[in-house]
Amino acid sequence: MSEQAGTQAAHEQARHPGTATYLIIAAFLVVLTAMEITVFYVHALRPVLVPLLLILAAAKFALVAMFYMHLKYDDWLLSGIFVFPLIIAAVLLTSLVLLFAYLSHHLAPIA
Amino acid sequence: MAAHPKSIPNTQPSYLEGGGLAGWLATADHKRIAVLYGASALVFMAVGGMEAMLIRAQLWQPDNNLVSAATFNMLFTMHGTTMVFLVVMPLLLGFFGNFMIPLQIGARDVAFPRLNALSFWLAIAAAIVLHLGWIRGGLPNAGWFGYANLTELYYSPDLAIDWWVLGLLISGTSTVLTGLNFLTTIVTMRAPGMTYLRMPMFIWALMVTSILILIAFPPLTVGLIFLLMDRFFGTHFYVATAGATPILWQHLFWLFGHPEVYIMALPAFGIISEIIPAFSRKPLFGYPMMAYSIALIAFLSYGVWGHHMFATGMGPVADSAFAITSMLIAIPTGVKIFSWIATIWGGSLRMTVAFYFALGMILEFTIGGLSGIMHASAPVDLQQTDSYFVVAHFHYVLFGGVMFTILGAFYYWWPKITGRMLDERLGKIQFWLTVIGFNGTFFPMHFLGMWGMPRRIYTYGADMGWTTLNQFETLSAFVLGFSFLIFYFNIARSLIWGERAPADPWDGRGLEWSVPSPPPVYNFAKIPAIRGRDAWWIIKYGRAGSRGIAAYVSGRPPAMPEAEPLDVSGIHMPAQSYFPIVLALGIVLAALGLIIEWYRIIAMGVLVAIVSVIGMGFEYPGYGKEVHDPEHAPSAGEVDVRKVGVWSFIGSECVFFASLISTFIVYKSRSIGAPGPEILEIPLTSVSTFILLMSSLLMVLALAATQRGDARWQKIWLGGTIAFGMIFLAGQVYEFTHFYDEGMGLSTNLFSQSFYTMVGFHGAHVAIGVIWLSALMAAALMGRLDSSRALSVELAGLYWHFVDVVWIVIFTLVYLMQTVKGG
Repeated sequence: MSEQAGTQAAHEQARHPGTATYLIIAAFLVVLTAMEITVFYVHALRPVLVPLLLILAAAKFALVAMFYMHLKYDDWLLSGIFVFPLIIAAVLLTSLVLLFAYLSHHLAPIA
Repeated sequence: MAAHPKSIPNTQPSYLEGGGLAGWLATADHKRIAVLYGASALVFMAVGGMEAMLIRAQLWQPDNNLVSAATFNMLFTMHGTTMVFLVVMPLLLGFFGNFMIPLQIGARDVAFPRLNALSFWLAIAAAIVLHLGWIRGGLPNAGWFGYANLTELYYSPDLAIDWWVLGLLISGTSTVLTGLNFLTTIVTMRAPGMTYLRMPMFIWALMVTSILILIAFPPLTVGLIFLLMDRFFGTHFYVATAGATPILWQHLFWLFGHPEVYIMALPAFGIISEIIPAFSRKPLFGYPMMAYSIALIAFLSYGVWGHHMFATGMGPVADSAFAITSMLIAIPTGVKIFSWIATIWGGSLRMTVAFYFALGMILEFTIGGLSGIMHASAPVDLQQTDSYFVVAHFHYVLFGGVMFTILGAFYYWWPKITGRMLDERLGKIQFWLTVIGFNGTFFPMHFLGMWGMPRRIYTYGADMGWTTLNQFETLSAFVLGFSFLIFYFNIARSLIWGERAPADPWDGRGLEWSVPSPPPVYNFAKIPAIRGRDAWWIIKYGRAGSRGIAAYVSGRPPAMPEAEPLDVSGIHMPAQSYFPIVLALGIVLAALGLIIEWYRIIAMGVLVAIVSVIGMGFEYPGYGKEVHDPEHAPSAGEVDVRKVGVWSFIGSECVFFASLISTFIVYKSRSIGAPGPEILEIPLTSVSTFILLMSSLLMVLALAATQRGDARWQKIWLGGTIAFGMIFLAGQVYEFTHFYDEGMGLSTNLFSQSFYTMVGFHGAHVAIGVIWLSALMAAALMGRLDSSRALSVELAGLYWHFVDVVWIVIFTLVYLMQTVKGG
């Protein structure tokens, strides 16, 4: 059984990216984070702060999920199990923020 | 009963035999766990039913004082809570789901047998906590929906709500673990050849329900955590005077609450889709559309929560959106109704009790569905909300739709589960009394509601004109109660004197009928190969028989497979474990200690729970090994069950954190007074962010080292990941301490409490990750983490990376967007 499991591990390793890819992704993550912080401090970018930060965060999120969590290499089923609730989570967050924004702007504040 | 001409001899001991009491308390067998769920749910069904009888007795006449207003509040709260959390879900998922999933998909057990046992014992722990109010503080009394701010300390200063909050938190944990387990089992452990479009419809329903559980329960968990913090730690998540809004609770509750209706209804749809073809002798009509409509109902059910909140004033756009989705959901539901009718049409019907209840369900559920469409219209709903019309509607859905199904399922699957038949004559008497009692109780409520009788009132005046109908309802309710007495008698009679059931008493279609009644421990001596839908019918009658009733009508005898081989000694079955029940006991102790503020009991409970978790992890020497039983070969490619389990958990966690983050964004703007987002320090947090990101790099390097058998670098990278995790935590402790020194306490304002809660929960996740990785490090140091256990490292890594990506979101939305206004 152990031999079979060892073979399985070797098979998994063959499917996963190597150390070089991991390091490249880490470099991307560092650069993207640095860009995020820069965007925060540059006042000229304030009008586009939200979309810029969202794009940068989404890129980091995707890199970790695809390469470090191996979704790019694993069965599509695992991507489905992760991405569907992720979409639900994003819709939930957006919906709640919009619903309360309406409340704040259209109803008299609670005394 | 049309007994099968040939029956498979039950030559092996059944799962019910042997082991004594210990064999039940420590069982990990899905069938025994199912029986435990069923037995406990039947007890609570009696309790919930008696609460309903008392409610009806109190409403018998105007100005009645059989029970006080306070007791009445407890009765309707506990009736709803008991029926939803301790009866219907345990019966549908814990009893029928647990028993039937492995049998219907051709597996020997569920994916995580000990986790299954833990789910059950947590459910019992929740039931105990919910009822501890009998001893101290009173029973919960704010409705099963527990609307804020009635549940706040100011309005409910006694312990009743505390029991309710903790009970539901434990119950929710139990249900999420069940959902995770079922989903993993269904996607990875189906018998060879059982593609998704060959699964029994009950399995389809349970698969979709499991997904729904994973995404619907986290908002409730978050809502309950906020309430718990308000009551125990002085925060003000639902206190309007602090700038908060009780509406937040309604959103979080109904984000759970409406999908919860379908968490109960979808398995019922699945069961009806099993019963009707079996007694119509026809395959299910429109199978693919039935499967897709289940999925569509589940998807839409997550977008209709607002129709419970039309009265709160969400605005015309939101009202319209929720009205449209609520009306849309009637389409896939209608598809199901028509498919059931089309299945019956032209069938060779056998009028068994199970079929009676299935027919009853179609009629009663349709009535509930029609009144449901009325509620989808906001202007109409405003007239009906909080009236008895709503009580009528949801009882037609939940009793007419779900309880009728449960009763039918008892008559259908009881022979398989117990090896005994239920009495059909008694069953038919029960059925007609149920129909009369149910409709007599709930149909007049439509009229009372339209005449203005509010729900939840404990009495009414004689001048309201409601007396006659209330008396009719109460009499009918007692007829309904009597029908359940017959049901309980039938069960007891069956267990004592019941006729022995053959393996296939109904000439069934699914694999569960291919094994003896009751089944042996291992279910299948040999995992069957699946050649199409209705797998057992195909084996018996050949492929043509699955397409119609020709083979049956022609009188051709079924071609029974040869008897199962007797040598089953090589089958590996899950071993017993005491840790699940001990862990549940620890949680009850901790909850008890928290409420009575006896901190030694809390500490003892937490200690017992932690030791149990560690014990479960290392109970068997083969922990973490990639064991592949060739006969348990997954049908979903090479995906490991544990990987699917961890990903399912991570998916659920996405919704959990989304609920926390959205609350933070909303409350950031509503917060009164300083400090606010300007207190957040970007430089310090940027360093923490870099450290956490780099810990993810070290984690994947540790995995790569493990996979190639490099023990030295495995330890170095694992140690580095742990160290970086601890540095991140230290940074968080520093940040919290600094904020506290600046005057930002937990309950200072909405910003502080939502910030500390959200970031604190992320920190708790990091801490759990550090503990998990430390356990792996200990195994590595003992030389027990070789390449054969690489999956253990990968699973811990998945969790660690998830914690990392959550931080990526928090860093952006909370820290870097601190100047952006929220909701």
